[in-house]
Amino acid sequence: MPDQVQPNAGGNKALTLATKPFAPDDEAALREALKRCSPSTFEAAVQFRKTGNADHMPAVVIGVIERFVEPDLRAKLKDADDDLRLIEDLGIDSLTMMEIVILVEDVLQLTINNDELRNLRTVGDVKTFIDCKIRGLPLPRPTKFLPIEHIGAVMPVQPPFLFLNEASVSSTGANGKYKITGQEFFLQGHFKDNPVMPASIMLEALGQLAVLFLIEGAPTEPGKAIGANTIFFTGCEGVRAHRMCKPGDILTLSIKPKRMKMPLATFEGAIRVGQEKAVIAEDITLTFAYVDAAVAPVAIDGAAQPAPAGDNSANPPLRVAINA
Amino acid sequence: MPRVFITGLGFVTSIGNDAASVASSLREMRHGFETYPPFQKPDVACKVIGTVKGFSTDSVDPEDWTFPAAYTIKRETIRSMAPHGLYAHCAMIQALADARLGEADISNRDTGLFAASGGSPMLTHYHHKRMLDLGPARCSPLGIVASIVGTLNFNLVASFKIQGASCGFSSACASSAHALAYGFEEISRGRQKRMFIAAGEDGNRDAILPFAGMRTLSLQTDPALASRPFDVARDGFVGTGGGGVVVLESEKEVERRGVKPYCELVGWGQASDGYNVAISHPDGTGLRTAMENALSATGISAAEVDYVNAHATSTLIGDISEARALRAVFGEMGIRPAISSTKALTGHALSLAGAMETGFCALLMREGFTPGSAHITQLDPACEGLNVIRETVKVAPRVILKNSSGFGGANVALLLRRP
Repeated sequence: MPDQVQPNAGGNKALTLATKPFAPDDEAALREALKRCSPSTFEAAVQFRKTGNADHMPAVVIGVIERFVEPDLRAKLKDADDDLRLIEDLGIDSLTMMEIVILVEDVLQLTINNDELRNLRTVGDVKTFIDCKIRGLPLPRPTKFLPIEHIGAVMPVQPPFLFLNEASVSSTGANGKYKITGQEFFLQGHFKDNPVMPASIMLEALGQLAVLFLIEGAPTEPGKAIGANTIFFTGCEGVRAHRMCKPGDILTLSIKPKRMKMPLATFEGAIRVGQEKAVIAEDITLTFAYVDAAVAPVAIDGAAQPAPAGDNSANPPLRVAINA
Repeated sequence: MPRVFITGLGFVTSIGNDAASVASSLREMRHGFETYPPFQKPDVACKVIGTVKGFSTDSVDPEDWTFPAAYTIKRETIRSMAPHGLYAHCAMIQALADARLGEADISNRDTGLFAASGGSPMLTHYHHKRMLDLGPARCSPLGIVASIVGTLNFNLVASFKIQGASCGFSSACASSAHALAYGFEEISRGRQKRMFIAAGEDGNRDAILPFAGMRTLSLQTDPALASRPFDVARDGFVGTGGGGVVVLESEKEVERRGVKPYCELVGWGQASDGYNVAISHPDGTGLRTAMENALSATGISAAEVDYVNAHATSTLIGDISEARALRAVFGEMGIRPAISSTKALTGHALSLAGAMETGFCALLMREGFTPGSAHITQLDPACEGLNVIRETVKVAPRVILKNSSGFGGANVALLLRRP
């Protein structure tokens, strides 16, 4: 089923660069291959091929992507953060993605399998992917879409105090949704004859999403996992509520890690209802501890779960529709 | 049965890249031939082709191509094109403007597109060689849609967001006449209101030189003598490429939009020789039947035909076959319509020929002239009794018969009538 994403196979071997030294012929071929890219892209590629230094890689990859993006969209790429989406923001379709891949393979002298590309949705995904490829690191886990059953199974918080209906977790952050049903017990008293979602509960919901990120998405030390029962709230700053949220509203939550150093992890968080800003939290800090991986709750493989219907991210860029 | 009209034309040809310059070349009998640099080698006997001017498509990378500044084409559109895709795309833009069609008229379920091209031998070779040399993983994902027969319909349907009928036609040099004929059927049967008939040929070394294997190319080195259909000294055809688009619309659409059509496409006929894979029947039996079928299908009598735009490509056998077929249909009854082959000026555009020359016919009806058959010094005696005109006359034909023949002995005859 093409809608399913494949968990990555762990064994990603470090690339051994061609033992042949970088010859003038190679430089001419490289110049020809990159003739429509910026001079700095070519320079970075030459440096990479001469030294094998992976620090030159992002400049090459971004330079190649830029070459395939329509001129009027290139400005977006100039000051892009890693969240810039290939399909939605840059208009790159699956065929263009293949063109990018072939040129990157050609220039960096590596081979990329179709399976490995399915999960690349953002510029950051691409950079991380190529970096892992070159350094021989395991590929990052793809974005996981977690339905309520999975969330309930791994979270230390449980109903009626769990404020996530669904969530997706990647290596760079997490998104979630919660629908205010009106049946929440605290709405009976908050307020009298006027149910309004307490701001403190909304902050709690963001905290829960951060907990889910620590369990499902955060990088760990080898053989270790973050223990679900070791995570607690320590503090928050810069919290502002912008909009009253009432039964029927669907809260769209997002968190991103800002700093992570055992035993503290700090996140920024935001809640929206549709396009309207509801809550902003500049800093939410949690404490956590590592446990042996075997002791950690066995995670159901979120990657095997189908993505929610209607979610754009369910269409990774590398699905070439063949209508032959 | 809905009547079908031609309401728009677009041209990228060896004799002009817009209707005005094409019309003046036809009227003044100016050819589009040049000595072709890739053929200036000792082992290439053929030296001349009909060149497309103002475009450069020699590279296998479409992003290297240059074309007139009037056209802007995005990378994502041009990347999957063959050279003739670019020519036809530009012709399409002309035809849409000429027919005064807006976006809503183009992209809807009642508007379709039929196309004809021989594919792109240059790109087929390039991509195939790359696959064999570097392996399939290094093949361009767009190599197939840029090169196989059908590339023209794939690209145009996607670029112009066509939602109605779409199909490609492949009967060699009768291909785009077939596309016009079946486009006519779509409208006259009420299945579509409007059809774009697009055709193209790369017209470069890889598209033309393989015909040298058949010894059908003219070996003349003088561009002014190379293509001379019906002349006794003709020695083969001169290859050419380009793009052409003809817009067909139902009578109702013509009325609704208040546009002035060039002419009516009244009907058509076809028949096959059943004779040889590449050589036309010496008596032109298939072509004769095709013409007779066209006349009987439309109720137009042979005597009403004022002008025949011949298929005649300047080959030894083909021109005689057509002359005999014409004599059987017209000469034996003492009817003498004007006959000429505009391939004397353009060269033979293969799959593109039928649509391009039908476009010429529509144009000259409006412009009010009948083009002469150029470069005839001595008429082949086989044409005796036929009115092959050697100079342009200032008479707008009322009814035109347009012939096309292709490999396998496929023959198509189209009938056009001035409104």
